[in-house]
Amino acid sequence: MTTAMETAGVGKRYGRRWALTDCTLTIPAGRVVGLVGPNGAGKTTLLHLAVGLLEPSAGSISVLGERPNAGADQLARIGFLAQDSPTYSRLTVEQHLRMGEWLNPNWDAAFAADRVRDLGLDLGQRTGTLSGGQRAQLALTLAVAKRPQLLVLDEPVAALDPLARREFLQTLMEVVAVDGVSVVLSSHLIADLERVCDYLVVLVAGRVAIDGDVDELLAGHHLLTGPRRDHVALPGNTAVIEASHTEKQTSLLVRTETPILDPSWTVTPITLDDLVLAYMRQARDRDRDATSEPASRLAVAR
Amino acid sequence: MIEFHLDPSSGVPTYAQLVQQVHQALQLGLLEPGDRLPTAQQVVASLAINPNTVLKAYRDLEREGLVRARPGLGTFVVGRLPRTDPQAQAKFRRSMASWLRSARDAGLSGEEIEAIYRTAFRDCFVEGEGVA
Amino acid sequence: MTRFAWLQSRTQTLGVYAMLGALAIAAAITGVHLSNLYHSHILHCTIGCDLATTQFLHSDTFLRNSFDVLSLVTPALLGIFWGAPLLAREFEAGTYRLAWTQSVTRSRWLTTKLATGAGAVATIAGILTLVITWWYRALDKVGSNPYDLFERRDIAPIGYAVFAFAAGALIGVVIRRVVPTMAATLGVYVGARIVTTRLIRPHLLPPLHKTLSMLNADGFGFVSSDGSPITLVAKASAGSNTWTQSTQILTSTGHVASSAQLTAFVQQYCPAIANPPAPGAPGNGPVKAAPGVADAFHACRDEAARVFHLAVTYQPASRYWALQWLETGIFVALAALAIGGCYWWIARRAR
Repeated sequence: MTTAMETAGVGKRYGRRWALTDCTLTIPAGRVVGLVGPNGAGKTTLLHLAVGLLEPSAGSISVLGERPNAGADQLARIGFLAQDSPTYSRLTVEQHLRMGEWLNPNWDAAFAADRVRDLGLDLGQRTGTLSGGQRAQLALTLAVAKRPQLLVLDEPVAALDPLARREFLQTLMEVVAVDGVSVVLSSHLIADLERVCDYLVVLVAGRVAIDGDVDELLAGHHLLTGPRRDHVALPGNTAVIEASHTEKQTSLLVRTETPILDPSWTVTPITLDDLVLAYMRQARDRDRDATSEPASRLAVAR
Repeated sequence: MIEFHLDPSSGVPTYAQLVQQVHQALQLGLLEPGDRLPTAQQVVASLAINPNTVLKAYRDLEREGLVRARPGLGTFVVGRLPRTDPQAQAKFRRSMASWLRSARDAGLSGEEIEAIYRTAFRDCFVEGEGVA
Repeated sequence: MTRFAWLQSRTQTLGVYAMLGALAIAAAITGVHLSNLYHSHILHCTIGCDLATTQFLHSDTFLRNSFDVLSLVTPALLGIFWGAPLLAREFEAGTYRLAWTQSVTRSRWLTTKLATGAGAVATIAGILTLVITWWYRALDKVGSNPYDLFERRDIAPIGYAVFAFAAGALIGVVIRRVVPTMAATLGVYVGARIVTTRLIRPHLLPPLHKTLSMLNADGFGFVSSDGSPITLVAKASAGSNTWTQSTQILTSTGHVASSAQLTAFVQQYCPAIANPPAPGAPGNGPVKAAPGVADAFHACRDEAARVFHLAVTYQPASRYWALQWLETGIFVALAALAIGGCYWWIARRAR
């Protein structure tokens, strides 16, 4: 299995509103994929499509080579941690473990018991009285003890305090190191994902703004700063993602495969944060231009 | 065995920070040939980073001939880096400490001292050698 | 999945069974006593029977009131507190996302939850109605027409309970919030019961007709509302333990008597007794006839029996069980429809 998830022209409509439009992605297996985007970008919709909670209104999606929700076997291969880590608040931790055991053929009871003990969770405690961090850890334990090939996590750390966030990601990365499971996790904060992801998908306003291997993305983007200019000549395969001007200076965030040799530019590498924000702003401005009169933009000679 | 730590604000890629820390440990004599590096799982569990990042750092070190992975056993140090004489190290640390004290006595704040150090360091290494 | 469904509903199931058990014990003890009382004082009664019967009918007031309330409200309660939260809570708390991503298909999950729930609800309603019907058997023999207790005895309450449960489940799937679902379930249940009682049950089986003399009327009198001309009214029963659906006054030619005909009759034959109420006098209720009027009343009625007769539309006692089964069947069928609706709606919402 070389792809964890493949979508072709996937769209999802709620009533008249399209939450996801023409989404085409190939996500390799064995990676930790970060799905980033502002709130309401369609992240949850995409993940729910992947685990079969929803069906696409357009296009097709296949996860681990099969249509999601194709049957009990397919469900057993995917572990899902929904947003806010839902658990049955009136059932105890132990009863949740029993649920996992009863409802999953590959359940790893020893792993689940060890994890719960390491976390210091009281087996007899009702999950309604657990802290947010404990509940997230329990929900992750349930998803992992299923022994899935793909773990799908929807905003797993958004509601956690910094310590709980760190502990959660430690657990998750340990599982990845030991099992080699593929992971897709979403967040609206790049800082959550920077350490753990090696593949990135940026989703803005229901569309894929950019996706790719994190190292390749960072190597392929540069920040150029130089004296102010209104017309820029750059090598042919260079795309300007974002441009900003002050009175004296022009800054460009560019995507390129060839080195920038023009000595009048100072070339600096960019952080993942810069990259994601630039694509988010680009997508937002494109939407704004589509609805209002076009703003004056930098002319780029190609 | 060494323990890794990360500086997320440094802007240096995570795997490069791991490589640097092994280099430093070798230079300072904290690691000797035969020593084992922490397993990917151990690093991941303490730093909450992607295991592929650790493996990538170890591959880089292996390519430099500094470490070798023995399947099932772990990753072991096999090479050395030219190591500064401990006496020279101690001498420079002493002179640096006395410089820092005199700067403090002259009324400079810690922040200012750090800025001076950074600028001087960059002048000396980064720009002087044209490294990005 | 069955084990998990049981785990989820264990507390309430055991709680309800404990209450049922307590009720059954109370019913068993007092029921045997009631039965003995019936056999010793009522069945072979020779003197002072009316008093004995009245006393008998007033025994065990507390338990009788409890059972009357329980038999009426239990199906609704099961719908509100068992059916309504069953799926609505999964949606409200978001736990459906946990349940549907275990290695169990959505349809199996739904089937198990609905089947175990409906089974539990039917069992509870069944035990309760069995206990109540058994406990009441002596009292019912003395004082009641089974058709008056149609909705509170035998198997109809099971149908009601299963329907209330399924309706609650379906409404929960649609509304996805527990409290509004409970309110809507109560509304739908009460609505369905009223519609069935008023509009459907009378037409389930074609009623029988019987012609009776005016002299057999249970009620015979005069009526005037808001100063309209006085007319004749009469009611009759087709026999004990039958369900009289309507009584009509027919002329000798077999047509329904018009109010003009009835008014004319009253003016001609009964002027002495059919006086409009004095202005300002209380309008409703029987007016005690003045002394010496009794003869005039009997003369009036005898004359009425000569001119008119009564046509009674009714269901005989023998159809009681057929109607019980039909009523139960209708509610079980509605429940099945609602359960089908749950599958349909859940599949539709994912699309």
